[in-house]
Amino acid sequence: MDIISQLQEQVNAIAALAFNTFGSLQRDAPPVRLSPNYPEPPANPTEDSANFPDQPKLMSAALVKAAKQFDALVAALPSSEGGEEAQLRRIAELQAENNAVGQELQKQLEAAEKELKQVQELFSQATDNCLNLKKPD
Amino acid sequence: MATATYPPPPPYYRLYKDYLQNPKSAPEPPPPIEGTYVCFGGSYTTDDVLPSLEEQGVRQLYPKGPNVDFKKELRSLNRELQLHILELADVLVERPSQYARRVEEISLIFKNLHHLLNSLRPHQARATLIHILELQIQRRKQALEDIKSRREEAQRLLKESLGTLDGQ
Repeated sequence: MDIISQLQEQVNAIAALAFNTFGSLQRDAPPVRLSPNYPEPPANPTEDSANFPDQPKLMSAALVKAAKQFDALVAALPSSEGGEEAQLRRIAELQAENNAVGQELQKQLEAAEKELKQVQELFSQATDNCLNLKKPD
Repeated sequence: MATATYPPPPPYYRLYKDYLQNPKSAPEPPPPIEGTYVCFGGSYTTDDVLPSLEEQGVRQLYPKGPNVDFKKELRSLNRELQLHILELADVLVERPSQYARRVEEISLIFKNLHHLLNSLRPHQARATLIHILELQIQRRKQALEDIKSRREEAQRLLKESLGTLDGQ
């Protein structure tokens, strides 16, 4: 895939990681005590609270890794030499050169086809002579 | 169960009754549209250009100007994005009701990122064109060399055979 598409995919991946991170952390966070007036929330030992403290670490590590990947991709972008006008000028040059080479190629091709016809003619005459179909003059 | 019939086809077919006998008796096809047109209630344009961010009502975070340094701007937008994600995390811990502003800013950064990447596409297209033209020139030169060498080879063989025939 070309570099710009990879960059776009990476941006979308960072977005997906971000909203997955916040979404699942917010959904799975254990209840916390807001003020000394309210009683301590009931601590439910489910499988959440066992793995839960790892989630922020893992997810933030994934986010940072994706961001580093994005930076690496940006570094891999080919440096834009010149700008639009420089590119357009180069295209015009290349087109002119292409036309010139094309015309020369056409000339050579025509000359080669002519020679081919001559050789074929000579060959047919020679075979006729060999087979004694006509007297050599 | 009520079924609605489809609308009838447009009645223009009657105009083409004598088309086989006289092709000119029927109207010409309409010319291609240029500029903006309305299709099924939505307006479209034939001018394929990337609309600038202001036209879409989105604030542009990277500096405008003739030559934007894409790499630098992409990197700085990436850093901004990470900072804003951290800010969002902080806001959710401290003042959870104020998340909306942060989320808006994050989406603004994403829109800028995508717009910047999209504006790289014309540059990429021109670079691809340059590459294709160079390849084509190279192939043509190669073919030219091939033809020349074959012709010389053929001439040489003919002279040789002429020499051997004369020697006989």
